[in-house]
Amino acid sequence: MNNLENSRRLLAGAAAATALLVFSAGTASAAANCIKGDRKAPYTVGWANIYSVPTWMKQTEGTISAEVEELKKAGLVKDLMITDAQGNAQTQIQHIQSMIDANVDAIVVIAGSSNALDRVISDACDKGIAVVNFDSLVNTDKVTAKINTDSNEWGATAAKWMVDQLGGKGKIIIMNGPAGISVSDDRRKGAQPVLDANPGLEVITETNTEYNVAPAQEAMTSLLFANPEIDGVLSLGGALSAGSVMAFDRQGREQVPTSGENARQFLELWKEKGLKGWATMQPNWLGALSVYTAVQALEGKDVPAFIKVPLPVIDDSTIDGYLARAADFPADGYIYSDYDKALFDKLLAQ
Amino acid sequence: MSAVSSSGWLYGAIQRRRNRSLGGLYLVVAAFLILYAVLFPGILSVGGFSKFTQNWFPLALVTMAQALLMLNGGITLAIGPLVSLGAVIAATTMGTALGVPGGILAVAFVGLAIGAVTGAIVAHLRLPAIIVTLAGSFIITGVALILLPRPGGFIPDWLSITLAGHTPVAFLLLVVIVLAWKAFLATPLGLGIYAAGDNPIGAFRSGVPVEQVKIVAFALSSLLAALAGLFVAAQTGSGDPVIGTPFTLNSIAAAVLGGVGFLGGKGTMRGAICGSLLLSVMINVMFFLGFPPVAQYIAQGLIIVGAVAVPELLAKGRARR
Repeated sequence: MNNLENSRRLLAGAAAATALLVFSAGTASAAANCIKGDRKAPYTVGWANIYSVPTWMKQTEGTISAEVEELKKAGLVKDLMITDAQGNAQTQIQHIQSMIDANVDAIVVIAGSSNALDRVISDACDKGIAVVNFDSLVNTDKVTAKINTDSNEWGATAAKWMVDQLGGKGKIIIMNGPAGISVSDDRRKGAQPVLDANPGLEVITETNTEYNVAPAQEAMTSLLFANPEIDGVLSLGGALSAGSVMAFDRQGREQVPTSGENARQFLELWKEKGLKGWATMQPNWLGALSVYTAVQALEGKDVPAFIKVPLPVIDDSTIDGYLARAADFPADGYIYSDYDKALFDKLLAQ
Repeated sequence: MSAVSSSGWLYGAIQRRRNRSLGGLYLVVAAFLILYAVLFPGILSVGGFSKFTQNWFPLALVTMAQALLMLNGGITLAIGPLVSLGAVIAATTMGTALGVPGGILAVAFVGLAIGAVTGAIVAHLRLPAIIVTLAGSFIITGVALILLPRPGGFIPDWLSITLAGHTPVAFLLLVVIVLAWKAFLATPLGLGIYAAGDNPIGAFRSGVPVEQVKIVAFALSSLLAALAGLFVAAQTGSGDPVIGTPFTLNSIAAAVLGGVGFLGGKGTMRGAICGSLLLSVMINVMFFLGFPPVAQYIAQGLIIVGAVAVPELLAKGRARR
């Protein structure tokens, strides 16, 4: 046992030395968080999803699987284990615990709760597992890397666009994702300073629904009955915007400036109804980037503890480029911006 | 003397009959546990056992909370929100002057109080439990979101490590709670829960304070759910105002899986706990078998149907013989 341990350590040392030789520029001098250098390619990657059913998640999983296929060809990954906690943060804890028990080399995770996974994730980190957390982030810093766009900026930029559209004056409705969810909370918080600075913008009311078209449409329909005058819809989620536009359409109301996300449905309605629109996105390829980052870290490269991905913006000048690729995406899916290895390397080098 | 031994004989006979209908479930659970141990031998170590039982523990508690009411002829849809509220109260009080003991008392008190009020409404206003607890679930969710609008709060590290570290404290707590339930069943009040659930009029005529029993059942049930929330807060090291939501349905599923009937009086606590164990171990077994998520959904459904159907078929087979 001791011998085995020793020879392992020797091997690790040798590997580290080779790594140093290969990257003599010093890039490998500092290993990334959680990495102990005792894990060798090909790696087993665990993808601990919180909920696999929404289309956004399916598309994200698509980019993860595609990336894993690439890395398999390069001999860096041998297996991908996927779990689906069915929306239950408690189950996700159980899944990550099982991944630790199964001794995977990397865990890629979207957190079902910003705090609930902290302890199990730091356990994984202590075991030398590369943990990369994206989209919905955990609180603990005991991860290899966190990858996300800035939700505050999301809300702030959308609100600024709305202010510009309405000339700083008018009645708006704000559509939020579910209450008590960090992403939806952060987007809303980001919008607040802009709203405070523009008191001419009157917020009639706000909605909280799931990030789905049907509930958003339902919520907006009842609001349309109650409010004869609405000048803009500050929607903080793509499917929400599609629901809102459809509600306006069904009621025969004139479309108003609507912010949103890269949901294919919203982009198509935007073009079709000729409305004033603006959209950003949570790129699905954050999933692929996370797997790539985990493997890079396991290979001894230093990766930033936080990788901020700039928000791609879709406006009237770029929407045609997105709609041209629409056929490649599911009808209820998200048309994400292009990505490649060069982009990933650039993001990792920041 | 002979009276005692004959009642002992009667007790044994009844227990045997109640256990027999659970035999199939016991077999299924045992098979899954063995399969799990084969797939992951680490479960047999103290650390592995501790981690596994910790993930099962809150579900076991809420299943007891649900079964307690179902045995009394009720049901509650407020389990999940109560778990969330328990977690939120723990995470918002333990960092203040109240400290850990104050936080635990606060959680217990709120749990008991909400349960007692709900029970009183159901018992004295004669409203259906399902409606009252549905309304209650919205109110409780709202309160949890007001107390802690987003995940956060504070739980001291030592409490997290004590309850959910590498020691089987959670499992021992479960044993203690089950023993307490056994002891409670030996009291007239405890027996009344079954009696009033099985035959409320008969129980009333035999002198069981049916309404009081109902209030006690609701109070204890809510207490258990809130304590499950306290444990979740300790396990995760923080509070989350929506973390409990999935527990509502899972608690009902586990109780029904464990042979607890919707109409009251039928079923056993040990069956319900076994049901929750099956739901929990199933997740780990499917992971180690490498099932893709889509197959997991289907397998989960099949296992649940199977676990309910096997005992039924066995019973039918016996009846025919």
